[in-house]
Amino acid sequence: MILLGNAGNKLWGGRFVGNTDPIMEKFNASIAYDQRMWEADVKGSKAYVKALQKAGLVTQNEMEQILTGLDKVFDEWSKGEFKIKPGDEDIHTANERRLKEFIGDPAGKLHTGRSRNDQVATDTRLWLRDAINTLKELALQLISTMVERAAVEIEILCPGYTHMQRAQPIRWSHWILSHAVALSRDVERLEDIRKHVNVMPLGSGAIAGNPFNIDRELLRQELKFDSISINSMDATGQRDFVAEFLFWASMCLTHLSKMAEDLILYSTKEFSFITLTDAYSTGSSLMPQKKNADSLELIRSKAGRVFGRCAGFLMTLKGLPSTYNKDLQEDKEAMFDTYDTVHAVLQVATGVISTLKVNQPAMEGALSPDMLATDLAYHLVRKGMPFREAHSCAGKAVYIAESKNIHLSQITVEDLQTVSPLFDKDVSSVWDYNRSVEQYSAPGGTARSSVTAQIEHFRTWLQAQKQKP
Amino acid sequence: TMASSEGNKLWGGRFVGNTDPIMEKFNASIAYDQRMWEADVKGSKAYVKALQKAGLVTQNEMEQILTGLDKVFDEWSKGEFKIKPGDEDIHTANERRLKEFIGDPAGKLHTGRSRNDQVATDTRLWLRDAINTLKELALQLISTMVERAAVEIEILCPGYTHMQRAQPIRWSHWILSHAVALSRDVERLEDIRKHVNVMPLGSGAIAGNPFNIDRELLRQELKFDSISINSMDATGQRDFVAEFLFWASMCLTHLSKMAEDLILYSTKEFSFITLTDAYSTGSSLMPQKKNADSLELIRSKAGRVFGRCAGFLMTLKGLPSTYNKDLQEDKEAMFDTYDTVHAVLQVATGVISTLKVNQPAMEGALSPDMLATDLAYHLVRKGMPFREAHSCAGKAVYIAESKNIHLSQITVEDLQTVSPLFDKDVSSVWDYNRSVEQYSAPGGTARSSVTAQIEHFRTWLQAQKQKP
Repeated sequence: MILLGNAGNKLWGGRFVGNTDPIMEKFNASIAYDQRMWEADVKGSKAYVKALQKAGLVTQNEMEQILTGLDKVFDEWSKGEFKIKPGDEDIHTANERRLKEFIGDPAGKLHTGRSRNDQVATDTRLWLRDAINTLKELALQLISTMVERAAVEIEILCPGYTHMQRAQPIRWSHWILSHAVALSRDVERLEDIRKHVNVMPLGSGAIAGNPFNIDRELLRQELKFDSISINSMDATGQRDFVAEFLFWASMCLTHLSKMAEDLILYSTKEFSFITLTDAYSTGSSLMPQKKNADSLELIRSKAGRVFGRCAGFLMTLKGLPSTYNKDLQEDKEAMFDTYDTVHAVLQVATGVISTLKVNQPAMEGALSPDMLATDLAYHLVRKGMPFREAHSCAGKAVYIAESKNIHLSQITVEDLQTVSPLFDKDVSSVWDYNRSVEQYSAPGGTARSSVTAQIEHFRTWLQAQKQKP
Repeated sequence: TMASSEGNKLWGGRFVGNTDPIMEKFNASIAYDQRMWEADVKGSKAYVKALQKAGLVTQNEMEQILTGLDKVFDEWSKGEFKIKPGDEDIHTANERRLKEFIGDPAGKLHTGRSRNDQVATDTRLWLRDAINTLKELALQLISTMVERAAVEIEILCPGYTHMQRAQPIRWSHWILSHAVALSRDVERLEDIRKHVNVMPLGSGAIAGNPFNIDRELLRQELKFDSISINSMDATGQRDFVAEFLFWASMCLTHLSKMAEDLILYSTKEFSFITLTDAYSTGSSLMPQKKNADSLELIRSKAGRVFGRCAGFLMTLKGLPSTYNKDLQEDKEAMFDTYDTVHAVLQVATGVISTLKVNQPAMEGALSPDMLATDLAYHLVRKGMPFREAHSCAGKAVYIAESKNIHLSQITVEDLQTVSPLFDKDVSSVWDYNRSVEQYSAPGGTARSSVTAQIEHFRTWLQAQKQKP
């Protein structure tokens, strides 16, 4: 019996006798993007052959040939010399093909007991684990830049906004740190995710496990995973760690989109609080005066892109039957694009923050007496009036000032006394922005002592982060 | 003279015109945030204690306020609290009622506080309790699955990859594959509870608290783990809500996969399982129909809940710092998500505990072609490289298909045309029990491995129940 086989180099060839539709070939192949995991794939295979040797499925000599061959594959990739051939459906196929070209038949023993199902899940985790380390570094740099800027500029006051309306005077550094604290949460979440990534699927086979008494503990140690997966069907069929990473990135970029929004507003002529350096701005091909904060606009934009990756992947996961389905290969492009995007955004954000110029006179010039209306109320509270009533009195004072078209601080004591007899000459002490910010001395507030405490907190935290393995 | 019609608004003071009644409705959150009445009372009771310590209310005023707040609590718990026009939100409503009970001292409660830190605190208090309930329900579901897996450990069935028959597995291995995903959900939920348990109170509107409020006292009163470190972030972020919404999306995505499997297994074509009538519905037209509506709805809710997550993330994107009214979109998303997960977990537990397994159908669906890998491994154990053995087994499958016979019916002679390594001992391959038993490495489908998983989960469940 003659079998016609045009399955080429496919790892699954055996029973297949017809050609694959070339459009289907392209539709199905993941090599275009999963080659990015070449290093993880080689590492995974090197560990696996050691376990095969221990299980008696390859001889010592075969193991050494395979290890040497895999090192050559590694070399070619790292020099950019690896040539992908037609029929290399994915990185796993490509690496095994090249290995066979180097060492011949022993290469055919590498995949014993393994499936691409547990191989790819392992490779992806190895790749992401390293990627996370890099993103963490970049995030720490950004946070550090922000904290040191906050330390230097701690004397600068500016309006604090709620609902984007002037609310109360704050320290500019308090604003900086409000964004730093959100990013510090992102770093901590990233560490949590790294733990979730660091569970090893290898030894789960295609679905049912490994039938050759492979030492999974040996594999775990070789590949530096924290633990081994406990159910082979779940291990090969879940990508929770990818979905979590995509959501993490969505949250991180949402945080940065808010910071970008603030800074874009502050860079307008109307606010004039900050100026970006030219390095992070662009002009208009039409209007000569334009200086656009394109860096910040793009940072703001990427939250949508990345969340789209997250949403798309979650939709892909929904309602999938158990275990491996080809749908799951949608994970990689989402993961790579998200990584690349966050990588770039963190770097640009660091550049923007470290080089932007603050316009202190404009910031402090934007402080207006009406922003001390709460302080006026608190002045009455300190004289014994219930806050609710004091709030109402201060509101009436604001109304009077607006009707007379004067600043709140210009209301006469006589006029104030029509609002409440508790007012007297000492009300003049209210109209002092420094005094205003200094009252917020409880932890977390905008007084100098509280902001200094935040800076110290972050410096300690950053130190501890850098010392983690 | 100022004409003011802003009624009971906490912010009235400078406002002199009427609000557009459509805007009133658009703006008010009382319709849904009243659900947090208990958290709001708790938060206020703690706050007045801190006010007393800071000298902003007297001992007597504090006691009046505490007593008044207890009365507010009572009315709510008896379902007797009446919401009035002008009660924009739960905070306004509670303070209004407090004033009706105790008069002027009520006006001192909000000193140094803003609804910005109040609502952030209330929401965290509510969610913290809600998480405890969901965790309980999830543990019940997992426990049901684990015990079922223990009882049915002998049953074999096809395992599918790409929804095509792959290799024989234990049915219990399938059950546990879904249990392990849910156990991750429980662990993530605990992580989220930690993120929820950070106290914003004492952040004021934006700048902090100006009256030397003892935030540590508040923290202890309200049993938070820590206090927020930056007042602008504390009042302006809802990460904990977004994380909860995503957590729920992941959990329901897990359950959507389990539902998908079970729906397929309940078809006539599979006939692996039957749902009890309690979890099925019929057709108003076709008398034979028994639909697994419970599972279909479980599968559906992943989209609903992820929609809540996506919607909220879109709301958050590009918001300026600190509090903006946009943030009140958090609550309906959070409540709907909680209610949905609550129901799904309960129904899933009911379905899993009552469904009937059709062992003959499951084991009857095992077919010799599913042992093709075993055929390849048979050659591997005789020294052939796997890659070559895989190819040989593939050829054997082809031969069987061409002759329209089962793989197990191929003659030794025919097999020897594929490889001379084949001989009479190939007959040992065609044994499903032997097949599953080889997967004895941890995580596999052998009896020992599945038993180990069951023990792992029982230990884990015990530990979970003992956590505070």
